[in-house]
Amino acid sequence: MKAIKNYLSSLWRALFGDTMRAFGVVSVVLLIALAIAPAKDHFSQWHSYQNGYLSLIRDRSDAVSLRRRFTPGIQQIWLPELGVVDRCATCHLGLKEASLADVAIQPYRKHPVIPHPLDSYGCVICHRGQGPATTVVEAHYSQQAGVDPILPDRYIGSGCGQCHQNELTGTPQLNLGRKMLAQYGCVNCHTVKTPDGRIMKGTDDPPSLEHIADKTTREWIFSWLKDPQAYAVSATMPNYNLSDADASDISAFLMSSSTPRAGDNDAVLIPVAKNADPTAGASLYGESFCATCHAVQNGAGNLVGGDVGPELTRIGNKAKPGWLQAWVENPHTYNPNTLMPHYRFTPQQVALLVSYLMNKSDSDYGANVQLSAATPAQIAHGRRLVAELGCAACHKINGVGKPDNFAPDLSRIGSKPLAQLIFLPGMQHTLPSYIAGKIKQPQAFGPGLKMPVFALTDLQRDALTTALLSLDDRSQTMPDKLRVAGFQQTDYEPAGQAGKLMQDLACFSCHRIDGHGSDLAPDLSFEGSAVQRQWLDNFLKNPNTLRPALTRRMPRFNLSDADRKILTDYIMVVYQSPNIDPETAPPAVNPPALVEHGRQLFYSKYACQSCHIANTKTDKGYIGPTLTQVGSRLNPAWIYAWLKDPQALRPGTLEPNQKISDDDARALTAFLMTLKNSGAQETTR
Amino acid sequence: MNDPKEFIAGFDSDQRRSPTRVVFVTRRTSAQVKANYEEQVQTYPEVLFRVVLAIELLAIVLVVLSLLFNAPLEGIADATHTPNPAKAPWYFLGLQELLHYFPPVVAGVLAPTMLIVSLVIIPYFNINIEADGLFLNDRQRRLQIFYLIAIGLLVFLVAFHVYVAAVPTLLVAIAMVVAAYSSPQSTVAARRYLANKPLAWWVMTWFLFELIVLTAVGTFFRGPGWSWVLPWGS
Amino acid sequence: MPGKTDKILEQIERSRVWRSIFRSGRGGSPLHRALAIQQNVFLHLFSTKVRKRMLGFNATWYLGALTLGTFLILIVTGVLLMLYYHPSVPQAYADMKDLQFVVSSGLFLRNLHRWSAQVMVFLVFAHMFRVFYRGAYRPPREFNWVVGVVLLLITLLLSYTGYLLPWDQLAYWAITVGSNLSKAVPLVGDKIHFLLLGGNEVNANALLRFYVLHCLILPLAALLFIAVHFWRIRKDGGLYVHQSDPKTLAASKKVAPEKEAK
Repeated sequence: MKAIKNYLSSLWRALFGDTMRAFGVVSVVLLIALAIAPAKDHFSQWHSYQNGYLSLIRDRSDAVSLRRRFTPGIQQIWLPELGVVDRCATCHLGLKEASLADVAIQPYRKHPVIPHPLDSYGCVICHRGQGPATTVVEAHYSQQAGVDPILPDRYIGSGCGQCHQNELTGTPQLNLGRKMLAQYGCVNCHTVKTPDGRIMKGTDDPPSLEHIADKTTREWIFSWLKDPQAYAVSATMPNYNLSDADASDISAFLMSSSTPRAGDNDAVLIPVAKNADPTAGASLYGESFCATCHAVQNGAGNLVGGDVGPELTRIGNKAKPGWLQAWVENPHTYNPNTLMPHYRFTPQQVALLVSYLMNKSDSDYGANVQLSAATPAQIAHGRRLVAELGCAACHKINGVGKPDNFAPDLSRIGSKPLAQLIFLPGMQHTLPSYIAGKIKQPQAFGPGLKMPVFALTDLQRDALTTALLSLDDRSQTMPDKLRVAGFQQTDYEPAGQAGKLMQDLACFSCHRIDGHGSDLAPDLSFEGSAVQRQWLDNFLKNPNTLRPALTRRMPRFNLSDADRKILTDYIMVVYQSPNIDPETAPPAVNPPALVEHGRQLFYSKYACQSCHIANTKTDKGYIGPTLTQVGSRLNPAWIYAWLKDPQALRPGTLEPNQKISDDDARALTAFLMTLKNSGAQETTR
Repeated sequence: MNDPKEFIAGFDSDQRRSPTRVVFVTRRTSAQVKANYEEQVQTYPEVLFRVVLAIELLAIVLVVLSLLFNAPLEGIADATHTPNPAKAPWYFLGLQELLHYFPPVVAGVLAPTMLIVSLVIIPYFNINIEADGLFLNDRQRRLQIFYLIAIGLLVFLVAFHVYVAAVPTLLVAIAMVVAAYSSPQSTVAARRYLANKPLAWWVMTWFLFELIVLTAVGTFFRGPGWSWVLPWGS
Repeated sequence: MPGKTDKILEQIERSRVWRSIFRSGRGGSPLHRALAIQQNVFLHLFSTKVRKRMLGFNATWYLGALTLGTFLILIVTGVLLMLYYHPSVPQAYADMKDLQFVVSSGLFLRNLHRWSAQVMVFLVFAHMFRVFYRGAYRPPREFNWVVGVVLLLITLLLSYTGYLLPWDQLAYWAITVGSNLSKAVPLVGDKIHFLLLGGNEVNANALLRFYVLHCLILPLAALLFIAVHFWRIRKDGGLYVHQSDPKTLAASKKVAPEKEAK
């Protein structure tokens, strides 16, 4: 014990005995301490990853070429326009090596093929993470403020959405999410300014409630408010988790605020003809292609039909028959802005459809709802609830104005700082998990939050999250030239009588003209250049499809001859393409030699039959439209111009531009013009 | 001026090591000891190396600190996202705490200006500058002035709800009261100690106390909206 | 071995070049040692001799010396950091990331600079209170106390201007909060605020202004006042000695004269 003490004290004296000794010892210690930081640099993580890469490629067959392409040191991609510095490739060394696609250990695997070169886009734009970092933790899961962690792969589409405001074939999730923002009415409460300068508008077409009492009963409103999806699984109306009392009060207010409209319920119901076929209603529903827009749940519980209009599975529980009759006769009377066309049904057809639809009901639905007459206090409470919940953000309601800025602006939600977020217990502290969680259970995030619960699948939630994540600071601040603008609806309105007619027939619910309208059906902007007048007239009289594989088809409207003439004239005169010069167009009738030359070009040189059918017996192409009657349908000038440059006439069409020479195009046109229907227009396949 | 001068010259006892000193004693003065002889050391190397040693030891501590703890760095400056709370550097948090109670012209301009001015004038401040206890002379009058100032200050601070500053003020005031009723010959060491403290000491101690308390509160106990939080909470 | 080294050292010290630089000459006599201080432009700020009892830790806690130490560390690390720093937006922030991730020992340099700065502010305050409670501010040292107060302000300004340079949220808002105080000055508040920031808000102009203040103007001012501060210690009669402080007096008596003579 004493020996140790002695030893220690002599050691102390030897080291710190006098000032000079202590100075020497302390100086050495200081120098050593100063050497630690450079030493740490030398043994940094990325060095060992680069060594790991070298030993990985050493045993591979293409070691020499891999080694040649390997550069030691920190690798950096710099995108000054976007302020991105990206050093991921310092450790992710095999990103561009095709032969390393099979490597199981990261960070050496090859990057999957994407449409952009890695060198000019970097990694963090899509994957997030901290680009400048050179350590695993800081690059991927940094806790530093203002740094995003790596984005989970399922939201990767949000990266594309920063620049691409248009729809992309490779990003179905992003497209769906963006569509849902409009379709589920998110943008009715939240402002979303897209990076290309559009204010997103809802496409959910929420019904006006100004005359709701004409349309349905208070009991139905009550049941609907309690659980919209119990009435229609595809309903986009969210669930507000209302108490019975609140739902009752709201229904009372809505009924009391509704004003009656003439003709909704006071007209006499047309009886269905005694001798009518019991399936006539169903057939009419099918022939009118109601299913293009409306869905109905089949026996197996699957929805069949489109999602443009409301689901009709239990329409009989909801609609009052008088109102439904008025609606089917002409929906524009009740709602001038509805997407539904005015079909011009005969009274007997109206009766058939109304009775067919009224039979679509579920006797269990709302069976137990008993509401006593509402007191003024309840109505007043209902009005207050309607104002508080922001019902008027979507629906038109008498006496309640549309609220402004009802919910937070989401234009930059994808860059919201974590410090401004409140997380639920047990939740991952990342922005994607916050957004997804907020969509899933919005009211759990604090008392008094108004956002309702939307009935969404996990897939839909991921899609919405992806779309929201794409709305980040970078997308909003990048130089304009890096952006690909999305489709922007114009406010084109056709003029005159034809315009009124097209409004009445709701052409724009399916077709698009001059940037206005939907993309369910072909763009008609240049229809006058494309088709022959006779064909158009016949088509409007009795539409039959060009593409037999499609389930959505043009419905038949019972147009009068006069109306048809107005429409045909207007389309033929107004919707002309400036790219087609009728002067240089080949003639409609050509010498047989040229036709035969065209046929050979069609079948051999250009192999058009791979996509199109010119002869129903021999050809098998289903991708493009059938051409068996193209000679009666299209103008030769259009065919010629189309062959020369299809994308010039319809941007984005799948038809390849084969750089066909003038002579070949003339020959092909001559051949195609001989493909005419044999007289009757009913010869559809 | 023409008076003949009488000198007494003598040597220091330790003439080998310190320079010879000549003492001149004029007629009307008497020799008195103003300072004892002090042993001195050469600045080089004794002092210099000790100082360098001290600096090196501090450098080692700082180097180790720097190896262990990273300097904070948040997201890039963004004028559109205001953090809550937005805090100044720690040494200004005392001021920021005051800013919470008083208008900026008081807490941000008047208070620091007064502080600097009083720091500058402390050595020129001729009252009670020698190590005389504050209450040893003229006790009655000084006590009256003290009570007036102390109670006025406390009322002012409480009226503005500045309890953070009022508590240290109260503690210092209590200590001054204890000093006022203590004798320098007291048997209790602490009372003897306090009784001998001059005015400047009391002012500085009060300032130090306020500085520590306000800075600590601003640094550790203030959260979003400048509300009270616990540093170990959250 | 040691003999050989000593010989080489001796030869160097005897060389003409050495003697042309260090005039004090070779030797361990008090004269030579005094000359070593006196003949050096930097060291001549100090007195050649110091009262022995001021050497003990208790007398000063070495607070002044340690403050100088942090200042020296800050100059060295600061100059090195300047090699990697652009006072522009947003490159300043990118440079912080580069320091952290690609500059050799960059993060260490920044840490050392940051922590030393915090420690320096603390040490300056500690030094001030220590000097006060020791009574070392009294005449004839009153002017040196005022110089000290000026150095305190310069230190605070150095730290404050440096706070903005990383251009992160912490920096931006701390400076915004701080600079808004200047608006409260009666009459000329807005002008002062504008002068301080080179604009009406914290932006690239303010960054440049703070950079120049932090790297050039304030360090030069600090050096000037530090020189005055040291020189005044000597001129005001050396480090202040508490005449009746039995603790330090006793400490100095303990050392036996014989040992010292060696």
